[in-house]
Amino acid sequence: MIKNTLIDRRTCLKAAGASLALPLMETMGWAETAKGKEVKPPVRLGFMYMPHGVLQSEFWPTTPEGFLNSPPPALESLRPVLDQCLMMKGISGVPISPFNGAPHALELSTWLTAILPDAPTRNRVNIAISADQIMANYVGGLTSLPSLELATMPQTHKENQEGLHEAYYSHCSYRSPTQAVPAETNPRSVLNRLFGKSDKPGEIVPPDPLDRKMLDLVIGGARDLRKTLPQNDQHKLDEYLDSVRAVERRIASIEMRQKEAALEKAGVRSSKRHAADSPPIEIKIPDGDKRSEYMQVMCDLNVLAFQTDTTRVSTYIGSTPNGVSYPELGFTDAHHSQTHHNHKDEEKMRKVAAITKFNIDQYAYMVNKMSQLREGDGTLLDNCIMMWGSGLEDGAKHSRENLPFIIAGKGGGSINTGRFLDKTKGNQGDLLMTLLACAGVPIDRPIGIGTKEMSEMKG
Amino acid sequence: MTYFRKIRPALLVAITAALGLLQPVSGQDDDPEFAALQADAQKSFKEGVGPFVKKYCTQCHGSKRKKSGLNFDAALKNPGNPVYRKHWKQAVASVKAFDMPPDDEDAIPTDGEREQFLEWIAKIKFLSTKDPGPFVIRRLTKVEYGNTLEDLFGVDPKLTADLPDEVFGQGYLNNLSSLQSELFLEIASEVVAQPEVQKMLSREKPAKGADLREEAKKFARSLARKSFRRPVSDADVEVLLQVFDLARKNELDYPGALGLMTKAVLVSPQFLFITPAKEVASDKKIVPLDDFQLASRLSYLMWSTVPDPELMKLAESGKLHEPAVLKSQVQRMIADPRSRALFDGFGAQWLGLNELETKTFDPDKFPQMTSEMRAAMYDEARLFFESIMRENKSVVSFIESDYTFLNGTLAALYGMEKEVSGSEMRRVSLKDRNRGGVLGMPAILAATSFPNRTSPVIRGVWVLEQILGEEVPPAPANVPPLEKQDQKTVANMTLRQRTELHLSNPTCANCHKVLDPIGFGLENFDAIGRWRDQDDTGGAIDAAGELPGGKTFETPRELKAIIAERESELARNLTEKLLAYALCRPLEGYDEIVVDHLMETIAKDDYRMQTVISEIVTSYPFTQRRIKN
Repeated sequence: MIKNTLIDRRTCLKAAGASLALPLMETMGWAETAKGKEVKPPVRLGFMYMPHGVLQSEFWPTTPEGFLNSPPPALESLRPVLDQCLMMKGISGVPISPFNGAPHALELSTWLTAILPDAPTRNRVNIAISADQIMANYVGGLTSLPSLELATMPQTHKENQEGLHEAYYSHCSYRSPTQAVPAETNPRSVLNRLFGKSDKPGEIVPPDPLDRKMLDLVIGGARDLRKTLPQNDQHKLDEYLDSVRAVERRIASIEMRQKEAALEKAGVRSSKRHAADSPPIEIKIPDGDKRSEYMQVMCDLNVLAFQTDTTRVSTYIGSTPNGVSYPELGFTDAHHSQTHHNHKDEEKMRKVAAITKFNIDQYAYMVNKMSQLREGDGTLLDNCIMMWGSGLEDGAKHSRENLPFIIAGKGGGSINTGRFLDKTKGNQGDLLMTLLACAGVPIDRPIGIGTKEMSEMKG
Repeated sequence: MTYFRKIRPALLVAITAALGLLQPVSGQDDDPEFAALQADAQKSFKEGVGPFVKKYCTQCHGSKRKKSGLNFDAALKNPGNPVYRKHWKQAVASVKAFDMPPDDEDAIPTDGEREQFLEWIAKIKFLSTKDPGPFVIRRLTKVEYGNTLEDLFGVDPKLTADLPDEVFGQGYLNNLSSLQSELFLEIASEVVAQPEVQKMLSREKPAKGADLREEAKKFARSLARKSFRRPVSDADVEVLLQVFDLARKNELDYPGALGLMTKAVLVSPQFLFITPAKEVASDKKIVPLDDFQLASRLSYLMWSTVPDPELMKLAESGKLHEPAVLKSQVQRMIADPRSRALFDGFGAQWLGLNELETKTFDPDKFPQMTSEMRAAMYDEARLFFESIMRENKSVVSFIESDYTFLNGTLAALYGMEKEVSGSEMRRVSLKDRNRGGVLGMPAILAATSFPNRTSPVIRGVWVLEQILGEEVPPAPANVPPLEKQDQKTVANMTLRQRTELHLSNPTCANCHKVLDPIGFGLENFDAIGRWRDQDDTGGAIDAAGELPGGKTFETPRELKAIIAERESELARNLTEKLLAYALCRPLEGYDEIVVDHLMETIAKDDYRMQTVISEIVTSYPFTQRRIKN
């Protein structure tokens, strides 16, 4: 049994009695095993998205027995890590009535919320906190970044389906029912902000401690402004002040890491890392605009952020449902138009298969890499849960009965991998609840339409 | 029409101002005229709309079934509530298009009943209470933030490039992820590190023996005033002085301490948000914007940047809110080159050009779509928009015009490469009247196409929604799009013939008989806006069509003429879209009455663009705000 020593950061600050006191990281996230001093790495959870569903025959294994040895064509690139993957058929998505004309505005926005937007206020963002943000609320305080949101495309697509707000089209993360979390699309800025302006990963440009204190004064000063504002405005202001506070906290956390690094240098063994752990991976930002290279560097950043425990939750919107094309595959037809093949047009079906494989290849690139990085007694992937999936089952029918998804990683031993469960019964909410439970997040209420945790997933 | 064109601009100002004064003040709570309209609306609602909806709609769209999320039982109880505006809009669109009730329903209204219903429902707006809407503080957009930094400190506006692009739409969204929230601090640090700012800080040299804290206080006051765009409170200054003390305690030199103060200003919500100058009396529900807020609202609308000294002076003297003053400021601001911001912020969004830069085109089929070409396309639309605005032309010129702006790259698409060469954009007269106006403009034609072919449907929807302001009902679920047609039967058909299959299905026909002809009328323009006589299949383009009302056309030129005749619809649509942009919110119930009044003045002035803008800027919802629900 793992002894969970997660402590809320705020509790720690209160106990220390001073706002500047810095809690020691090792008491907070990296749990100790019951027996002795051995350190157990934390579980990290990542999501990667592709829109418009898949061709069933290309994606699902034919039999549970054949899963490992003769995987379906779309999964070819996952072959080296299939024993560390889990597939389950039978997870249904959220029924989208009354928004029947909005299959694409809802495939991404319901993906991690498992619920529909509020119908009367559909022209605003009003949905529910998403699973990744629930986890960020729980463990985000333990890392310098509560959560990481990445996307391949800018999230500015404009199209009104059923009068729904445009943001539903391109956002999967919701910090609160009314706040969509935008994703970062520029790998250079992710690298700079995560790891400082240096191409040497893990090396951080020291933050200015004065900045932290200055921000503290600015937040204090905003109190007077707050009083002069009507209630609606106060909410807006609070959202901003919360984000400034987050920056303050992040600077504090970087300062602490530096202290720890200094100790390490002086010969005090870090409590967190094993001597045998792989060094942080290197990031190379590609020059051209090849989609595969671009997606791979975003995947690398995700790996690096998990490897260095900069964050424990991530989402990567590999593409959004807005007519993306893949010139690299030798055709420019937009993804969406090809999915309407009516199961007859073989040319289109071939292109859909190629696009799906392309997306899974990038995901496979990421999880294969994670499986080669040593961490603790195993690999980085052993301590992660990386889910790839789509919010539609079949783009030609807009159906949502068997959502396609793949889970890679053992979640620190919480997930029993190497299996294909072909007759699962559950829905998107059940799946998300189970994933969070496997990641060690206590669930105090159902997520969306979820009603239960699925014990068949667990190890 | 021609009469007005001869009037000199100065005289025009006088006329517009006079018209402004003549504008009826109806809509007031104590206004008998408005009260009468309201009573009439209530009556026609009770006797007309209610029974119609109960008879034909609520069976599927009521408390029991709520198809498409529409519950008219709830809307009927409180028809004036802005929440239900979308319900009514959708009802109008569907009833008008004979889309609803569905043909297989037992009870189908007669044409007369439909007309009567539409007439009644038009009065619903009078059921709303007078309300300017809230003016919720909002963070400056990426563009506004960059421009503001440039105007205040002379730094490169591209320093904000890493911020995410905003999602514009009915409600405008500018949240930040935790990773991005750090950007504000990072950008502030970069601004302070710029040589321009360092130079400015090192010029601050207090006399020997001077009280440094007092000097810093003066600096803080002046910087905060400029940056917060309003008078500074003692509390504002006090916070900055605390930052100064913090810097000094940490042994920063004087310019260094001023630098930290500057950084503090740049991450303050007072800088990043447009905030009121002072607290307002809390007993009121609706109050006018104070002149400083108005200056910022106006400046960020017209220029996407901080108000200039003239606007600040007018705000200080308390005169800015006077309609005549506002109108003359609008004219001054339009004449200033910074008003291109109105195109970049609004025009490009209205015309759908925001994604043109990154949109994929088939590189084999359209090797012309280089970044130079895309930039030239965008600039053509921008310069054209600006010319209509600066030269105060009628908004009808957006549809019909005898000039455009080209450079050598773009001229190739027009087949005018002999007349125009070089990279610089210039004004060019057009002899071919199929061109001229946004419907024949490559940027728009390309933005409304697929990567490898045109889409008459997208173009048709675009014209109806963006140009004429009509609500196009969404395609019913489970209807196969063009791609899904049986490939053998359609193999030898032109795109038009294939698209016309819509008309063979009654569900599709109702809407497509309106949309498709417009798209067909533009089929002579290929997916990047070149003229062609044959489509991809080699079949001859047939651009002829008929619009509702029996108006027929044979060419894009004739199609444009038919659309240009609908000048009041064109102008109303543009006014509504620009008003929503100016208010940063979707229009709701009472706004419709506001627009009715604006349209009276705008029509009298021949739908001129400057009048559209100044009417919006002096309108009730732009100058007032609701502070309590």
